[in-house]
Amino acid sequence: MSLSRQRRFVTPGPDETVEELARRAMPDQPLEGAVDAIKSWNLHVFVMRRPPGLMLGSDVIFVEPPLAHA
Amino acid sequence: MPEAVPEAVIVGAEIVAGHDGAAELLVRLRHANGVESPVVLDEETGLKLMAACGASHVDDLAGQSWRRILEAS
Amino acid sequence: MFDVIVKNGVVVDGSGSPGYRGDVAIKDGKIAAVGQVSGEARTIVDAGGRVIAPGFIDPHTHFDVQLLWDGAARPALEHGITCVVPGNCSLSLAPLKIADRQRLIGMFQQIEEMPPEAFTTAFEWTWEDFAGYREALEKDLSINVAPLVGHSVIRLWVMGPAAQERAATDAEIRAMQDLLRECLEAGAVGLSTSFVDVDENGRPVPSRFAQFEELDALCAVLGEFGRMLQCVPEFYATDITLARIDQLAELSLKHDIPTTFSPLFDTLAAPENAERAIARVEEQFARGARVWPQMQTRPIDISFSLLRPSLFFARLPRWVRILRQPLVDRLAALRHPETVAKMVADLGPDGGEAMMGRLVARGGDACPADLVGQSLSQIAKARGQAPALALIELSLENGLDVSFLSASAGHQSTDRIGPMLAHPLVHIGASDGGAHLSSFSTYGDTGYLFSEFVRKAGAMTMEQAVAKITSETADIWGLKDRGRLQPGLAADIVVFDPDSIDRGEERPAFDMPGDGMRYVRDATGIDTVLVNGQIAYAKGEYTSARAGVVCI
Repeated sequence: MSLSRQRRFVTPGPDETVEELARRAMPDQPLEGAVDAIKSWNLHVFVMRRPPGLMLGSDVIFVEPPLAHA
Repeated sequence: MPEAVPEAVIVGAEIVAGHDGAAELLVRLRHANGVESPVVLDEETGLKLMAACGASHVDDLAGQSWRRILEAS
Repeated sequence: MFDVIVKNGVVVDGSGSPGYRGDVAIKDGKIAAVGQVSGEARTIVDAGGRVIAPGFIDPHTHFDVQLLWDGAARPALEHGITCVVPGNCSLSLAPLKIADRQRLIGMFQQIEEMPPEAFTTAFEWTWEDFAGYREALEKDLSINVAPLVGHSVIRLWVMGPAAQERAATDAEIRAMQDLLRECLEAGAVGLSTSFVDVDENGRPVPSRFAQFEELDALCAVLGEFGRMLQCVPEFYATDITLARIDQLAELSLKHDIPTTFSPLFDTLAAPENAERAIARVEEQFARGARVWPQMQTRPIDISFSLLRPSLFFARLPRWVRILRQPLVDRLAALRHPETVAKMVADLGPDGGEAMMGRLVARGGDACPADLVGQSLSQIAKARGQAPALALIELSLENGLDVSFLSASAGHQSTDRIGPMLAHPLVHIGASDGGAHLSSFSTYGDTGYLFSEFVRKAGAMTMEQAVAKITSETADIWGLKDRGRLQPGLAADIVVFDPDSIDRGEERPAFDMPGDGMRYVRDATGIDTVLVNGQIAYAKGEYTSARAGVVCI
């Protein structure tokens, strides 16, 4: 049985900033827009985390918007 | 020139029960690709979001930019 | 001569097979015979036609601390639980250096909501390593314990304060592997980690600072023993939960280990959540991975008081405005008759009966004892007031320290949850027993399984329900000696009335160290509980038996 496609994510490297992560995961996007997009897709990190935006090595960081699902 | 990524918008919100027995705010975001996805905010952040949006009712959150959520953090 | 015969019952052996009239004989702590047993015994337990079943296993608890002064994990045992799994969510009491105790206490208090006395006066802290903790634990057990070791404490041991600051070095990861191996050899049944929990300052617990490579390295050690990885995913967000399922599946396949995540909730506000998670689990099991979602049986209640603003009032703009004011201003507003009249009017002509009438005064705080357990509707009628006004005035009369409960506000649809609980890949658990003490009761979920999902909804047969929380749990966790009424296995047995077993009403109890308060539920319909062949609970009383062990 093959796996259905799921939303693409990466995990942050040690001490990686959101800008560095955006460059790594979305190299074809303008940086500012990519960072904004990543924040909007990962509010669990950029809003709910204390302090907000603290990325951890164990985090799931989505690098695309939610997928439409049946 | 690559295209800029469009914005996500709040399309609705409702109160839900959190695991720890507190009320939480489930906010529905419509992302730039048209897909809706829920985000759950804790009680404090939810109340801050309502205040930041000048919302006196959860239904007033519809139409607000996702950036309002960011401001509530 | 047997030690005990439990006779004249309906034997439901944990396999899921139909129950039958019969007896269970016990010798030297083991089941010696099942069926029509002849012979004599030192003790006869007359089941009186009730069900004789294997003791229930609770796979997600936080009894780590309580077990050190209460070896029965009360009231878990009286609900038929004969084995608990503590050490979940990355937190266990060992291995732990003396210097790190205070740091861990903060994390435990955040989850368990235990008073400080629980850590300072209730037991003697004699250990640092896992073997020492096991020794301390085993002194006075009347329930069995299958302990996990926490990823956060393993990190803390190796890295000290840096455990909550940064990624580990290769050398530190190797040291963690050695330490985990030592814990597994000393009796840990697996490793727990968390992607969610925070300490008392809101800072993520140490396990969350680990790179995936660190978890992978630790799972390699679990693979040497075939042991469990438990994790707490971001259960409030489906896409993240799905990502965690995929990570767990990779670890399960690579290291040939079972994994479990807890909790998985159903929510009517996002009904696709649990369905999508279970569908992903099905896909991963089809690949050969073992990723067991734990779903609790009980619904989620919301509670609040006027001491703090609550989203419960989010549909009442005036209430939100007033309740989010500083305390002094809030009190002034609530004492202002015209303001209060407007607040009550906001509820409409019924004065809040529809929205608030079913709220229950909880107790455990400043609520007058005679009102505890009453609905706001009842309280309002007795006072001759509208419910909204009664809520405000009762709160004011008691320094605002009166909690109200909105029952079954989440994970509440029996029609939806029943089939999920019956799903062969859904693991019934996630009770959180021994945690959230002052917020809600985490006991009696097994009773609720029978009352709500067997008797009321018919979502599964009684035999299936027993299998779910006995043999299936034992198999998932690799507890080879438990979970079935079968000769040679441990004699963990519960005798219960299938027509009345239930979780009991929630009530405040002041039985924690330092007179600390917690919410509990007293068992209903449980007649007798035997642990390793000894009667640990019978006819509403705990006995002096101390036959519990650390079981692996």
